[in-house]
Amino acid sequence: MAALIKATNITKVYHKTSVPVHAINNLSVEIAEGEFTAIVGPSGCGKTTLLNILGGLDQPTSGTVMIDGVDISRMKDSDLIDFRLHNIGFVFQAYNLIPVLTALENIEFIMLLQKRSRKERVARAKELLEQMNIADKADHRPGELSGGQQQRVAVARALASNPRFILADEPTANLDSVSTENLLDLMARINREQKATFIFSTHDQRVMDKARRLIRLVDGAIVSDDVRS
Amino acid sequence: MLAILAWRNVWRHKGRSAVVIGAMVVGIWSLTFGAAFMNSFLLSYIETSIRHDVSNGQIHHPEFTKDFDIKFTIAEPERIVRFLEENESVAHVARRSIVNGMIASSRQATGVKIVGVEPAEESRVTLLDSLISEGSYFEGVTGHPVLLGRRLSEKLKVGLKSKIVLTFQDVEGNITAGSFRVAGILDASSTTIDEGSAFVLREDLNRLLGIRDAVHEIAYTTFPGTEDDVLASQVQAAFPNEMVRSWHDLSPLLVFMEQWMGAILQMLIVIIMLALAFGIVNTMLMAVLERVREVGVMIALGTRRGRVFLMIVIETLFLSTAGGPVGLLAGYLTISWLGKRGIDLSDYSEGLKSIGYESVLHPQLFPSDYVTIVIGVLITAILASLYPAWKAIRMQPVDAIRGV
Repeated sequence: MAALIKATNITKVYHKTSVPVHAINNLSVEIAEGEFTAIVGPSGCGKTTLLNILGGLDQPTSGTVMIDGVDISRMKDSDLIDFRLHNIGFVFQAYNLIPVLTALENIEFIMLLQKRSRKERVARAKELLEQMNIADKADHRPGELSGGQQQRVAVARALASNPRFILADEPTANLDSVSTENLLDLMARINREQKATFIFSTHDQRVMDKARRLIRLVDGAIVSDDVRS
Repeated sequence: MLAILAWRNVWRHKGRSAVVIGAMVVGIWSLTFGAAFMNSFLLSYIETSIRHDVSNGQIHHPEFTKDFDIKFTIAEPERIVRFLEENESVAHVARRSIVNGMIASSRQATGVKIVGVEPAEESRVTLLDSLISEGSYFEGVTGHPVLLGRRLSEKLKVGLKSKIVLTFQDVEGNITAGSFRVAGILDASSTTIDEGSAFVLREDLNRLLGIRDAVHEIAYTTFPGTEDDVLASQVQAAFPNEMVRSWHDLSPLLVFMEQWMGAILQMLIVIIMLALAFGIVNTMLMAVLERVREVGVMIALGTRRGRVFLMIVIETLFLSTAGGPVGLLAGYLTISWLGKRGIDLSDYSEGLKSIGYESVLHPQLFPSDYVTIVIGVLITAILASLYPAWKAIRMQPVDAIRGV
């Protein structure tokens, strides 16, 4: 299968202190469509940096990142913003929903940026809320939702734009075990049924157990890459 | 949704927003009231000048205005008077004879403008009778009455019923003189009236000048709302051989004051809005900086920086203009109330009168002033939004999400 994401020899060096920090060291990786992949490793190993680079939120110091054959590593900022809007879904550790919008509006928001009609936006947002089993929370603002419910809204928001893949940075880090289990089951089901591609960064064993591919990082380099049947 | 988002963001910190909105209400109220109060000074001065001095318009022989040569009289004064009286914009008309001459008492002599008036007409046009502070209006003396301003009477050291002599050239160029008795002393804010004019009966002056029933000047007043320049043009068109001028042409000082007051209003807007703008910038900057992560996430999800910029501008506009209608309404109500009731400054009436103002001022603001204030508020809001909006769009999503 052709790679959906192809990162080649990427390096990320931070120069924020007098000593340069090599967050990613000459790393190459390919991810195919429909994968349910976890990038794991100890804190500071470069998981989030790698996810940011794959998601076009950050650019590598060297190397290239191709998504569907498009090189995003040297893309202009404004083009990258549009590219992210139409191709990449994000789920953050701290949910990062817009607090003044309701759950429904948070999901609608990304489709609004895509200039989709109101009718289509509302229908899709309601459908996603149904899928996430939180249809009754449509009119609730994030502050009125539990952590698990907020993260479901975040997943729904990530799916709303029909992205090519979803990046989830430590999505279960702030969740209790029941919420984590429910969220993982939900994402696994979406991956299975809709062939949505999920890439996680995590050091949560429960996420690792669910993942079908485990990429282990140490000091910004891949030390193991296991695919499970 | 950008507007909804901006509006809800405004009310995220109700207390903080309320302080800014309250400041805008007070600022706009003080701006409208301050402008109206200043306008009342201007209008009072203009009204006093028009009422007691220049009138809304005057008509002369074109040559007469150059050096007041008395042989240049108006060709058909009665026809012009009739024309004016038939015009529905014209309130009152007065005919005058004018000559420059000398006025002498037994102790002093000085140059003076001698104005021959029809008492009834003049009392309607310049309210000359209302300026009488001592004596009576062309009555109470035997012989030919004259009215003098207080300063002139003091200069000549004359009082009521004192005899004075007016000397001037008649129409033939001969020096002629007439004896008059002071019938009344005028208290006028206009220096022209107070120390430079002597008012006599037109028939007395015309007889001495030898010009029979001729007229040098026709002055007219108009009803409120009349476009005096337009009316002057109409009269000019009807009588092309005469010179017709509205108060704008007759008194460039008044026009200058009008323009100056407009400039002062704009300056007042700039000063008050500048002060408010700092408050708005501070609040919006705080609002943006405490939403670094949120703005970063919006950009990460695919919100173009231009949209983020627009959102902050809209948010600032909402914050800045939310208090606008209340401030304008409060200003309007205050102005309406005080406009009818008047602000009594009689404690300072002596000083005010001496420079041409009434002691009771009536604040007034024109619709165009309200428009200027609204535009000023909008410009302030937009300018105040630029720095916070610029700060917001400079955020890198990866730093914003990680960095807090």
